[in-house]
Amino acid sequence: MSAATPATSAATGSLGAVLTVREIPESDHLAFLRSQPSASFLQTPAWGRVKSEWRRESLGWFDGDRLVGAGLVLYRQLPKVRRYLAYLPEGPVLDWAADDLAPWLTPMTAHLKRRGAFGVRMGPPVVVRRWSAAQVKEGIADPAVRRLDDIVPLERDGTGARVVSQLDQLGWRQQVAEGGFAAGQPQYVFQVPLVEADGTPRTEESVLAGMNQLWRRNIKKAAKAGVEVTTVAAGDPSREGSPLTALEAFHTLYVHTAQRDHFTPRPLAYFRTMAEALESEDPDRFRLHLAHHEGDLVAATIAIRVGTHAWYSYGASSTEKREVRGSNAVQWAMIREALAAGASVYDLRGITDTLDAEDSHVGLIQFKVGTGGQAVEYAGEWDLPLNRPLYAAFDLYMKRRG
Amino acid sequence: MSLTLDVDGPRWRDHLRAVAAAHPGLVPVAKGNGYGFTLGRLARKAQWLADQGYGVDTLAVGTYDELEHVAHRFDGSLLVLTPWRPFGVALEVDPALADRVVHTLGRPADVTDLLARQPDARFVLERMTSMQRHGLSARELWAVAEQLRDHPQARLEGVALHLPLAQGSHLSEVQRLLNDVVAAELPTRTLWVSHLTDDELAQLATSYADYTVRPRIGTGLWLGDRGALRVTSTVLDVHPVERGDSFGYRGRTAPKSGHLLVVSGGTAHGIGLEAPTGDSSIKARAATLARGGLDAVGFVRSPFAIDGKQRLFAEPPHMQASMLFLPHGAHVPAVGDEIDVRVRFTTTAFDRVVIS
Repeated sequence: MSAATPATSAATGSLGAVLTVREIPESDHLAFLRSQPSASFLQTPAWGRVKSEWRRESLGWFDGDRLVGAGLVLYRQLPKVRRYLAYLPEGPVLDWAADDLAPWLTPMTAHLKRRGAFGVRMGPPVVVRRWSAAQVKEGIADPAVRRLDDIVPLERDGTGARVVSQLDQLGWRQQVAEGGFAAGQPQYVFQVPLVEADGTPRTEESVLAGMNQLWRRNIKKAAKAGVEVTTVAAGDPSREGSPLTALEAFHTLYVHTAQRDHFTPRPLAYFRTMAEALESEDPDRFRLHLAHHEGDLVAATIAIRVGTHAWYSYGASSTEKREVRGSNAVQWAMIREALAAGASVYDLRGITDTLDAEDSHVGLIQFKVGTGGQAVEYAGEWDLPLNRPLYAAFDLYMKRRG
Repeated sequence: MSLTLDVDGPRWRDHLRAVAAAHPGLVPVAKGNGYGFTLGRLARKAQWLADQGYGVDTLAVGTYDELEHVAHRFDGSLLVLTPWRPFGVALEVDPALADRVVHTLGRPADVTDLLARQPDARFVLERMTSMQRHGLSARELWAVAEQLRDHPQARLEGVALHLPLAQGSHLSEVQRLLNDVVAAELPTRTLWVSHLTDDELAQLATSYADYTVRPRIGTGLWLGDRGALRVTSTVLDVHPVERGDSFGYRGRTAPKSGHLLVVSGGTAHGIGLEAPTGDSSIKARAATLARGGLDAVGFVRSPFAIDGKQRLFAEPPHMQASMLFLPHGAHVPAVGDEIDVRVRFTTTAFDRVVIS
């Protein structure tokens, strides 16, 4: 592994010296994230505690003594060998707009190699393309359109393209998610912008007006039917008896949803850890939203926020009383809360890139498209093999595992 | 008396129209020997396509020297495929053409240099492809995009990609290169591409419908329908020979009895001057070896065919005629008869091109 090439100040803007990478305390990591407008919640130190089955490390990038970047690394062990895939989900947090990424990435990979990594996987948090809800809707209706790629995007992002181009040149390999969700984080997500193009905050009326008629009608219907949405911060003891009781209520409904929709639910302990870990960083980071109708819990969701980025993370809904539209009510509550908190984006997380009306994933997109936001393509996940035989073995193992 | 290219005019023109219709934004390429037709004729044909409403507004030539052959026969823009350099004939472009010529730029220094000489120059930026011939790297393309912000008069007409001849699919390379183009955030949405299959062009038109794709086509356009083209040579003389008779410049002797044929077409036309075929299959290499074998005994297979059979050169081709050996028993054509010739169009200079 070669040493970092010195970055000229002209080429890298504010950088004047060689960047170094070393482990930093979680407190410094968190302080750095707080200095940023936003970061993925998967890059918070707390998320490392949620993923307790993996070794974790907070990485810091230093320009001299100044902390200029941070990342959460999860070390995933290769079966039977004490070697690891170093994984930085939706990260690291660094200046991705830099003209030259090599001075940032080279010391990182050297550090990770010293820590026993046979390969690195990361998901640069940069947008490549965006499509409007109207375009997605038309695409689904048009039989000639099968994927997002078949539609001219609303916007192509030059910064995102430069990241892709550089990673390609630097020997990183894009992990292609074929026809659906890949093993890692989704490359395509659906987001509702909460600020106008010029950065001014949108109003509730404006966001509501952007939704499709069905969404607006359902939100109204839920209010008329008397659905009440309560919000519980993880550490808030004042509602629903105690927050843990609320979390248990969410979990019971979530297990019910899992049985109905045929997916494997995570155990209650996972959500407890998540709530406690995220809450310890920021009391607003993790929030439960519970929609009741005449005393019955009809929908429940978990919202996460880091800085100006708010996510809809997990959701559950009852099979009974679907007509009171608890799911729409709880989404609207989360959006309003994100607006009130000054967030700039409400993120409904993953979609697939399929617009094929026959595809089973299309219903999920249609639900999210109703919010009137944008389909957003990120740069995706990229791997850099550090030990080729071990990386090849890992690659094979992941493929066999499916 | 000539080496003649006979063109089935209606069929050829139908083909040209079909290619133009199937490739919106077509940029005909007229370079070198004009694919056998001559540059002037191709320029006129490009103008004919333009006049028919196929949107042919630009003709591509290979070099600056070729401009003079096409400029007064085609009245649109003239794209020069060889990258501009700050020396030589590129600097001698007729000022009257300055506004019609679209230069190709492949080095950041040349961008500076050209714009210093002509601030309102028209040009395309060539992105280096896996061909590794000319062009800018991704990083150079971004640097040039920066440079251009200081040249408000410069007329950037697009980004050019010269891809290798189709072997498998280019699409992943094209997508990678286009990502570099997006990354450069250039004030253009036009792509000039060559050697993409129709499927690849269709895919590009879908995924990059916000870009204008301009396919540069030479061979596929002018020579795409070989059935419309026939090359003939004229039999100029016929002499019977017996085994042991001597003949030719070098006083060779006939290996057996037969006829010597003198036919039109020699080295001046490109006969006997074969370009490497480009076909690298085992079969093609074996065929080359076999031809060498004939060469060893003195006779080489010629491109002249009589009754569908390629005949042997009796000796190396002359400047304007060739001498063939016809063994005893074969049908002997008469003086004045026409025989077929198989040529490589890009290396052949015909005496006459006759378009019906």
